[in-house]
Amino acid sequence: MQLDLPSNRAEAWRWSDLSALPALAGEPKFAGTYPDFHQLPWLGDAPEGPRLVFVDGTLDADRSNPGPIRFGPVEARAEDHPLARLAGQQGWSLRLGPDHAPTGPVQIVHISTGAADHLPAEIALDTDAQASIVETYIGSGWTNRLTAIRLAKSARLMLSRRLIGDSGFVSLTDRAELGQAASLISVTLAAGGTDTRLDGRIDLQGEEGFAEAGGTLLARGRQRHDANLVLRHSAAHGMSRQVWRSVADDKATCSVAARVEVARAAQKTDGEQSLRGLLLQRSATINAKPELEIFADDVKCAHGATVGEIDRNALFYLASRGVPVEEAKALLTQAFVADAIDRIGEEAVREAFHADAMAWFGFPLPLGEEGARREAVGR
Amino acid sequence: MLQINNLHAEVDGKQILNGLSLEVKAGEVHAIMGPNGAGKSTLGYVLGGRPGYEVTKGSVLFRPNTVRAELVEALPSSSNTEEGKDSPSTSSGRTDGWVDLLDLDPDERAAAGLFLGFQYPVEIPGVSNVQFLRTALNAQRRARGEAEISAGDFLRLSREQAGGLGLDMEMLKRPVNVGFSGGEKKRNEMVQMGILDPTFAVLDETDSGLDIDALRVVGEGINRIMRRPDKAVLLITHYQRLLDIVQPDVVHVLAAGRIVKTGGPELALELEREGYGAIAA
Ligand SMILES: Nc1ncnc2c1ncn2[C@@H]1O[C@H](COP(=O)(O)OP(=O)(O)O)[C@@H](O)[C@H]1O
Ligand SMILES: [Mg+2]
Repeated sequence: MQLDLPSNRAEAWRWSDLSALPALAGEPKFAGTYPDFHQLPWLGDAPEGPRLVFVDGTLDADRSNPGPIRFGPVEARAEDHPLARLAGQQGWSLRLGPDHAPTGPVQIVHISTGAADHLPAEIALDTDAQASIVETYIGSGWTNRLTAIRLAKSARLMLSRRLIGDSGFVSLTDRAELGQAASLISVTLAAGGTDTRLDGRIDLQGEEGFAEAGGTLLARGRQRHDANLVLRHSAAHGMSRQVWRSVADDKATCSVAARVEVARAAQKTDGEQSLRGLLLQRSATINAKPELEIFADDVKCAHGATVGEIDRNALFYLASRGVPVEEAKALLTQAFVADAIDRIGEEAVREAFHADAMAWFGFPLPLGEEGARREAVGR
Repeated sequence: MLQINNLHAEVDGKQILNGLSLEVKAGEVHAIMGPNGAGKSTLGYVLGGRPGYEVTKGSVLFRPNTVRAELVEALPSSSNTEEGKDSPSTSSGRTDGWVDLLDLDPDERAAAGLFLGFQYPVEIPGVSNVQFLRTALNAQRRARGEAEISAGDFLRLSREQAGGLGLDMEMLKRPVNVGFSGGEKKRNEMVQMGILDPTFAVLDETDSGLDIDALRVVGEGINRIMRRPDKAVLLITHYQRLLDIVQPDVVHVLAAGRIVKTGGPELALELEREGYGAIAA
């Protein structure tokens, strides 16, 4: 396949490193076996709901229970995006009629056995419909996705993604349009060994829309995570929140560029951005680029971007009470990212994401168990 | 239990401790008094192993499993067989239970039984007191080869200790010291001490910022937790008021990085009357 990839000279791509993609795309597919259905990272105690397994972008029908999800042509276009435009036209779709909601969260596991795979998706919720979708990415190749999201009046979508593959590259592009009083909460956790490129464009087209888009990026070695988000307020009385927490160790790089656009008509917009980074070593890099572009005059937009290091006083305080330094760092780092993960509404999903973050820190058994962690945030 | 010998230490290349020597035996409470800037907190940090506090000379030996035989009736059963010499034998060094404290990392010192009560307790947003303490207690237990405490037992223990210091259990569910008043932070230090149950405590101005009632609660807490024949305390304070409640066996005056005078409880009264100037001169 001939890849036409953007160069770092393009502003939107300056922090990305796509150099591994041609080689990944040229790799042969893996021909061995992959984990059994029950060994896949399903949520521990979530209510039963639809479950889908994609292997290299192809539905594994035997191991899936798609419920209301269909396969075939989807309406998802991103011709202007050099990666997303490769996604193709055949994919999965969740289209819910008015007032509909699947029982339990939709769980989708994407397994990449190597090489490259592309898949588009469409999520279209009619008036008052609601859904929660949890996507888990594992494996080692290049996984490329385009997801089109359309929420009608008062529809609600919770989209939680965790990227916990061993190696390779994951690129996710979202294009979302929200109708009146619709609500989208999107939380992404990168806690594996893959490099990532996340792109999102969310347009609050109806009045009183609500969008939250954020996540936690954890990187070590020479890993690179790169998130790029545009949240556009096109109508009045909208509210948006972008909470990103980046943690970089060794020579890794985490970059977040988050923009809020407020159109002239979008009076009374309430927007907030919080981009925070934690450097575990000075050899690591964290880029944070908050941007505001406001054409309405009666709006409230706040943004903050900080990059810091582990608090040495807190580290010694913990050590003086008997906590070894690596465990103390994990505890403080977990506390640092907790805000972003806590945006997830459902407890089973939230706790699974916290556990993945803890596993990344090297303490797979949560420090003092989950109950103690929950008490930390006063739940 | 603790032997400090000719300790020299510097911070940022600045010499702060200048040949400090001190011996604390099991069952004793020693008070350290002295003017601001004398090096009292530095001594606490050096004992705790704070990074940046460089020992340039001298030694600190610690023997956690020590019991004062003559105080032993006060001890609840079993441990009175664990009786040992309360001074290190000259050459054999650590073979009889003495450890070189300066050789241990801060967390290992804690696991060995040392507790440092901070003059300025640290705030840790996002980590609850409960999580903090349970992580700490279990880390210490693991280091000592003991089983971890169960959630239920831990809750019981923390409720008991919080109650003993008049701290609402709800506060323990909040992030460590965040939004706590000065007095609440100091009570919290004592709750931590009660839960971790150390052998040796260095308490750095635990009485500052406390009103009279809180001072009594904290003082009685120190007595309850630490006044035992197999434990000892180094109490850094400016005020006689705390020493009326936690009565010291020995009082030292620390000035310009060394002990300039040592005496009995009457020395504290003398200092209160006459100030440091006259005594330390
Ligand atoms: N981090 C530091 N860097 C440089 N000097 C310090 C530092 N901490 C303390 N000092 C100095 O060390 C001396 C002793 O301080 P400290 O131990 O806090 O005294 P005390 O507790 O007796 O009031 C003071 O002169 C103080 O300014
Ligand atoms: Mg001091």
